[in-house]
Amino acid sequence: MNSERYHRQLILKGFGEAAQQKLALARVLVIGAGGLGCPALQYLSAAGLGHIGIVDDDVVSLSNLHRQILYTTADIGKFKVEVAAQRLREQNPEIEVKTYLLRLERNIILDLLKAYDYILDGTDNFESRYLINDACSLLKKPLIFAAVSGYEGQLAVFNVADQANNTTNYRDLFPIPPQEGEVLNCSENGVLGVLPGIIGTMQAAEVIKLITGIGTPLVNKILNYNLLNHQFYEIRISHADDTYTIPETEAKFLAMSKPIYGNKIINIDGEEFDALRKRESTLLIDVRESHEFPVLDPAVFLKAPMSGFPASLNQEVVEENIVLICQHGIRSVAAAEWLKEKYGSSKHIYSLNGGIVKWSGHFIDQEHER
Amino acid sequence: MEIEIISFGQIAEFLKLRKLELNDVRDTEGLKTFLEKEYPKLKGIKYKLALNKFVVHQNTELSDRCTIAIMPPFSGG
Repeated sequence: MNSERYHRQLILKGFGEAAQQKLALARVLVIGAGGLGCPALQYLSAAGLGHIGIVDDDVVSLSNLHRQILYTTADIGKFKVEVAAQRLREQNPEIEVKTYLLRLERNIILDLLKAYDYILDGTDNFESRYLINDACSLLKKPLIFAAVSGYEGQLAVFNVADQANNTTNYRDLFPIPPQEGEVLNCSENGVLGVLPGIIGTMQAAEVIKLITGIGTPLVNKILNYNLLNHQFYEIRISHADDTYTIPETEAKFLAMSKPIYGNKIINIDGEEFDALRKRESTLLIDVRESHEFPVLDPAVFLKAPMSGFPASLNQEVVEENIVLICQHGIRSVAAAEWLKEKYGSSKHIYSLNGGIVKWSGHFIDQEHER
Repeated sequence: MEIEIISFGQIAEFLKLRKLELNDVRDTEGLKTFLEKEYPKLKGIKYKLALNKFVVHQNTELSDRCTIAIMPPFSGG
């Protein structure tokens, strides 16, 4: 180990050779080499974290570069794990970097996590996050969790015992995964590039604190950070009894299937459409574009053109029944599926099969002159 | 009683109030019902309440000048 490289942290009070040695021996798996993963990787590697694993299956794209500053414009199209590993090895040849060009699946995650001591979640979707959470909880692996949205970030440390020997995991906050579309991700909601830079760097700091024993990591706490006003808000997490189960054996973990949300939408014909229209708490949505004929009474049919869907539906639906219509009954299915993902089984969602063209007689009283 | 409200993420975009004067609401379940009626958007979002910086798992009584945080899950990375 080259002590000059780490001189500035070696001379820190409470750090020194012993802490540096702990870093050199530690094994950290960074899942996702994106907005959170990049800054975390850069600081972990620079700090002399001895064994780093990187999991990602994506390639660098132009829209990544405003926040994933490990990559350059010339890297577009290359696999992130390969570019990241090369940069980290150049940055610090003293450490070992392993790459895993894959998307984490249930059948491989346990074996992969077993080879590491600390797991850093830098993924961008709930399916991966719950998979990682459950696997880490089962294997009792310290999980450094972070997520961002807009101008805000969340950071927490799971599966590390506090002084009372209690541990918590993400399901103690959110026992059931949100449905697809319920929570916007960065590609839909946007993110200021510097935000994952801050939060990912904080993840790296938590890893270093856990390994070296300095400071107070966010054990059984979630930190909410707002970049716009630099507000930090810590919430203490306790175990939520009886709200969820995480499989306690590997066999049971492997047997778990993806959550089923009941994505069935109901295709209706003209008669059923007429009957539904008379029912209370029913919302009729026309997803055609503004130039399409016939024009229907806007007092009866809410307009939410598919070209801008779901933003064009700029209201929360309070009605129990939602009927989607379009010209031929194709776009209405897509819109219905989206709403089904969002509202799940809490609402009845219908699509008019064949659309207005097939059932034109059922719309005559609703047509408006242009 | 008067309570302080802190919200995060997409919830903060439509739930902008900071202080709330409550007359009939006494506990966290009552507060949820009240908020979901005032802000129907909340019904479509998973969220967790924290009372005075402690996560709430079961219906808990509110007290004057307590702080309620309303936190949605984030997925972005």
